[in-house]
Amino acid sequence: MEDKAGVEFVPSIVGFLCNWCTYAAADLAGSSKFALPPSFTVIRVMCSSRIDHNLLLSTYFKGADGILVAGCHPGDCHYGEGNYYARRRFALLKKVMETLNLDPERLQLSWVSASEGKRYAEVVGEFTEKIKELGPNPIKNSTRF
Amino acid sequence: MSQTGNVLVIGAGIAGMKASLMLAGASNKVYLVEKLPIIGGKVIKNEESFPNLECSTCMVAPIQQDVLQNPNIETLTYSIVEKIEGKLGDFSVVIRKKARYVSLTDCIGCGMCYEPCPVSLKNEWEENLIDRKAIYVPCSGSLPNVPVIDSEHCLKLNGKEECNLCVESCAFEAINLDDSDEVMEIKVGAVILAAGSSTFDLSSLPNLGYSTLPGVYAPMEFERLFASNGPTLGEITLRESEKIPESVAVIHCAGRKEQKYCSAVCCMYSFKFARFLKHKIPSASVFNIYSDVCVPGKNYQSFYKSVEGTDTEMLYTSSIDEVQVSENGPGLKVTYSDASGSMTELNVDMVILAAALVPDDDAAELAEIAGVDLDSRGFIATVQDGSGSMETSREGVFVAGTAEGPKDIQNSVIQAESAAGQVMDIVTAEVSGS
Amino acid sequence: MKEFEMREAGQDKNLRAKVGVYICECGPNIAGKVDLDKIIADLSQLDDYQDVELVVKKYGFLCSGPGKEFLEEEIRSNGYTHLVVGACSPRDHDSTFMGVCKKTDLNPYLYRIINIREHCTWVIDDKEKATEKAFSYIRGGISRVLRQSELFEKPLDINPDVLVIGGGIAGMEAALSLSGEDRRVFLVEKTDHLGGISLDLSGLLPGQGEIIKNKIDSVTEDKNIRLFLNTSVETVIGFLGNFEIELVSIENAETTDIMAGAIVVATGSSLFDPGESAHLSYSESDEVYTSLSVEKMFSGEGEARLRSGKKPSSVALIHCVGREEKNYCSGICCSYMMKLAGFFRNQSPDIQVTEFYRDLCLPQKDDQERYTEAEAAGVEFVRIKDISIKGTEVSFEKMNSKKSEQSFDMVVLAPAIVPSADTEELADLLTVPLDESGFFQEVHKMTNPVGTSTDGVFIVGTAHGPKGVSDSMQFARASAGQILTRLIPGEKLIPEVKVTEILEAYCTGCGNCLDVCVYGAIYSDDSRGISVVNEAVCRGCGNCYGSCPSGALRTKHFTNTQLYREVDEALR
Ligand SMILES: Cc1cc2nc3c(=O)[nH]c(=O)nc-3n(C[C@H](O)[C@H](O)[C@H](O)COP(=O)(O)OP(=O)(O)OC[C@H]3O[C@@H](n4cnc5c(N)ncnc54)[C@H](O)[C@@H]3O)c2cc1C
Ligand SMILES: Cc1cc2nc3c(=O)[nH]c(=O)nc-3n(C[C@H](O)[C@H](O)[C@H](O)COP(=O)(O)OP(=O)(O)OC[C@H]3O[C@@H](n4cnc5c(N)ncnc54)[C@H](O)[C@@H]3O)c2cc1C
Ligand code: SF4
Ligand code: SF4
Ligand code: SF4
Ligand code: SF4
Ligand code: FES
Repeated sequence: MEDKAGVEFVPSIVGFLCNWCTYAAADLAGSSKFALPPSFTVIRVMCSSRIDHNLLLSTYFKGADGILVAGCHPGDCHYGEGNYYARRRFALLKKVMETLNLDPERLQLSWVSASEGKRYAEVVGEFTEKIKELGPNPIKNSTRF
Repeated sequence: MSQTGNVLVIGAGIAGMKASLMLAGASNKVYLVEKLPIIGGKVIKNEESFPNLECSTCMVAPIQQDVLQNPNIETLTYSIVEKIEGKLGDFSVVIRKKARYVSLTDCIGCGMCYEPCPVSLKNEWEENLIDRKAIYVPCSGSLPNVPVIDSEHCLKLNGKEECNLCVESCAFEAINLDDSDEVMEIKVGAVILAAGSSTFDLSSLPNLGYSTLPGVYAPMEFERLFASNGPTLGEITLRESEKIPESVAVIHCAGRKEQKYCSAVCCMYSFKFARFLKHKIPSASVFNIYSDVCVPGKNYQSFYKSVEGTDTEMLYTSSIDEVQVSENGPGLKVTYSDASGSMTELNVDMVILAAALVPDDDAAELAEIAGVDLDSRGFIATVQDGSGSMETSREGVFVAGTAEGPKDIQNSVIQAESAAGQVMDIVTAEVSGS
Repeated sequence: MKEFEMREAGQDKNLRAKVGVYICECGPNIAGKVDLDKIIADLSQLDDYQDVELVVKKYGFLCSGPGKEFLEEEIRSNGYTHLVVGACSPRDHDSTFMGVCKKTDLNPYLYRIINIREHCTWVIDDKEKATEKAFSYIRGGISRVLRQSELFEKPLDINPDVLVIGGGIAGMEAALSLSGEDRRVFLVEKTDHLGGISLDLSGLLPGQGEIIKNKIDSVTEDKNIRLFLNTSVETVIGFLGNFEIELVSIENAETTDIMAGAIVVATGSSLFDPGESAHLSYSESDEVYTSLSVEKMFSGEGEARLRSGKKPSSVALIHCVGREEKNYCSGICCSYMMKLAGFFRNQSPDIQVTEFYRDLCLPQKDDQERYTEAEAAGVEFVRIKDISIKGTEVSFEKMNSKKSEQSFDMVVLAPAIVPSADTEELADLLTVPLDESGFFQEVHKMTNPVGTSTDGVFIVGTAHGPKGVSDSMQFARASAGQILTRLIPGEKLIPEVKVTEILEAYCTGCGNCLDVCVYGAIYSDDSRGISVVNEAVCRGCGNCYGSCPSGALRTKHFTNTQLYREVDEALR
């Protein structure tokens, strides 16, 4: 996507990855040398369930155009059920995002296991494309609440 | 005061790794000997394991890392045990560390050396479904992530050419073509044999067409075909035709009659395959041809019920040993006798054979080196006192996992922990007794 | 001497911090893909951090022996308050560099590894972009490390003793494997005798002969096992290493308090009630028996007779009773039914024995041979689709849909193994969940089948699920192994360091966090009206964090403040 001035929009995307599955998949994507967009930043957490609403909303206010949260497949969470909780919290947050005029599509929850290096690269690539379509985050740098 | 000893564990599959970690946790010094250049065993070949279809890498990689990083475990990959002498509490063991030609401490696993290597041959670890170089790691994500040079095929090492390309490509000076085998001698108090098992040689069953018909697959081949870090990056395509199969028959009990036992895991992995197939190729028709469904224990039948009728059609045959697979144009024809005994034909693109678990090729050799008895089927025998003790015919030598007989991951882990528990129990007894 | 005595760095701006930033070249893997000198120059000129001194250096190969020595020496001689290593994945080398820190005075939680290889240089081809990205990642690391706090291991005293609940074969084996000079075992059995269900079995599978009796003798003689017969467990509180337990006598309600470091649950199982099965008129006829009552006849009298006193001349053995209702296969019935067939043939060689089965499940390596032998000896095996009985009249449908009826002198049912009566109550007491079949749930089906989500509570034998004697004993020894490796007499236990804490000032005591913690690590302190995390139990997953409406939780080493620093740098 290009904006009116013809400058290519490079989205800033943050990925919160669970240590046990998706972070390992990201490592595998790395050692397999799959190309990934430089605009994507990985932040490691122990489990997808660690991600709370404050962290996500603040990340949007701080200017992220998209956030990917990725963890173990349902049933595979290293801590039993964390990813189920993550999923539930997400459903709620997506509603909150609407009220903030933030397209819920800017938030994606994906399950990527440690052997899915290729899929990780695909998920990140596709999400980046989607965010490019959506354009810049409209609430970037608005004051927090 | 501290009740510790040295223990030798042979085989770094799930059983060997779990036993090692448990022993190391109690401050025992563990020597973990693995014949392959990598640890993990068979489980890491499966993308997902039944019954929950949990990602195997996610499940096993942290265990592999724990093993490699544990200060009490000395992991000796690409090594074999040559001699075990002595008795409980005082074994002398001779281990041959085969020349790897790549330094485990200097190599960082960047993979720059594979590309230049001019040699290309089949990758056995990938069930020969893809090629590898003479310098290689078995698969991406290998642990330790350090290649090995296959000295038989390396042009320099087999004396065919003055090749030095890998050495030149390595920025870390990690490759040393003058490396040689190293023999080490250690003292241990007890031994655990966890060398795993193999699968039935399907080419000995001509009626099933394996190795003559390209559309017929062994179960491990299918596991790799499905694996997203495998030869096709997880795409299920048929060899030669490269076609995506639209109909698949999984034939149960291949080798059960010959081996005279039921392997207890084949039904479950067959159902797992049905789920895999439907997941990747939703339009495919999948059939399981079976005579008994063996889904023992509290966790398995519900998985079977969830695939039965949805992911696969279950076709009962009154005679599983007499199923025939033959060529049928570009596809395959499966002939079997149905419930009423009449011959029925089924046309499919792909056949997967649920092969029995059998003793590893070198089980007999290992038993000889370890001085232990085999059972009538060629697995390592336990004392058979009815208690499920993991001790073998030689005092101080234990067995665990599929080296003892076919079983699933759960029971392999139980046996590993049970054997480690027994070792710790005798180590404690030895110390407090002396 | 350390020049900078600064702890809780970055939180007090008046204190100075000195951060060492070391970038590994990793041969061409990092050095060849980014402009390292530019990164170093740019980092060195950063003026984002007030009162913070940055020392930025590169090194060829940090994880090598000389690399580690170099780093150690650098930490010592420069007196860093914090350390950032730009290198590869923490999965490869976090523990390596933490180990280096541990050799110095630098707390390992004031160091951070930044993965610029897997997540940057290996995936971004364009050198300029990769340089920018690596710079951004490292800057994120510096900002974050300044917000990190020292964390310390808190070794816990433990009690090595063990409580075993249930005196069947599994419980006895666990007790015997664990008892020793420096470890006592409390074995609690609710009936007045040891042995459990195996006592009623008529000769176990081959080789198992005297095993039950021998174990009972060994347990009784073992002076390190304290046996409580006619006793049940009343209350349990605590966690791995430190449980407080109250036992109560079933006879006189007297209570005994004990302390133990671990609990092994070996309460066995019971049998599916065939009366619950619609197809079987179990109670209508006197000549229909459960497998267990026939086992009792053979083990008691040595013979199985009809109520008339006559020996049966035909017997139907019906497999899989309750399998459909319970939705699992018990995995041992096919095998013991063939054992029973053998006993019937021994008592009357001409007897007609017919086994009606749905699937032959022969998972032990000897099972199939026993089947072949039984078949060769004349036992008839009939595979059925459907079956019903009325009295001793058996109506069945074969696989080929042919329906038949047959009458027998005796009918024996193999009911599914189901959870024992006290399972639910005990599960509550021990805060262990039950699985979909009603047995105690293991913490991980494959990699930890004896553990439960309450660390320190283990499940063995048929309390875990249907299984035979050998497997029950293997489970028992596996639990013993886990306890032997974790509760070592005289040694302390080191729990997870990166745990969650609840800030008292913010907590309203709503209890949301309590409900989400699978490990039961949070309890409510009613006197203060707040919730408290038991740091000895918490694994630091952070799940509770998201559940707290008041922001009272802090997951150490993964606080929002720390994560925000990473976010800020990513979005600059
Ligand atoms: C196709 C297939 C699918 C399966 N799917 C599942 C599933 O989904 N879920 C499940 O629970 N189970 C499954 N199983 C069963 C599972 O693979 C086994 O239970 C498990 O691998 C047993 O682990 P192990 O450690 O005993 O042996 P292995 O995994 O075989 O490991 C043995 C190790 O020892 C090494 N070794 C061998 N000989 C020597 C020697 N002489 N010296 C040194 N090292 C040696 C080997 O290289 C190997 O690394 C499946 C089996 C098959 C065949
Ligand atoms: C008909 C039949 C035939 C079988 N044949 C064979 C065979 O031939 N070979 C074989 O290997 N296996 C056989 N089995 C299986 C075998 O019986 C079990 O594997 C074995 O008994 C399991 O032992 P356990 O210690 O786990 O449980 P149990 O034997 O059930 O013992 C549990 C003990 O815990 C006690 N208990 C229960 N609740 C509490 C409580 N709340 N507090 C305190 N104590 C409590 C009980 O009183 C009992 O003593 C057979 C099973 C059946 C039903
Ligand atoms: S040997 Fe050298 S080139 Fe090959 S993977 Fe190891 S470090 Fe890289
Ligand atoms: S020396 Fe051997 S391994 Fe190395 S590149 Fe040449 S043939 Fe390959
Ligand atoms: S961090 Fe996880 S284990 Fe710890 S208290 Fe919170 S939910 Fe429980
Ligand atoms: S959720 Fe928050 S406020 Fe509620 S009890 Fe837990 S820590 Fe306290
Ligand atoms: S640990 Fe990966 S999602 Fe919970």
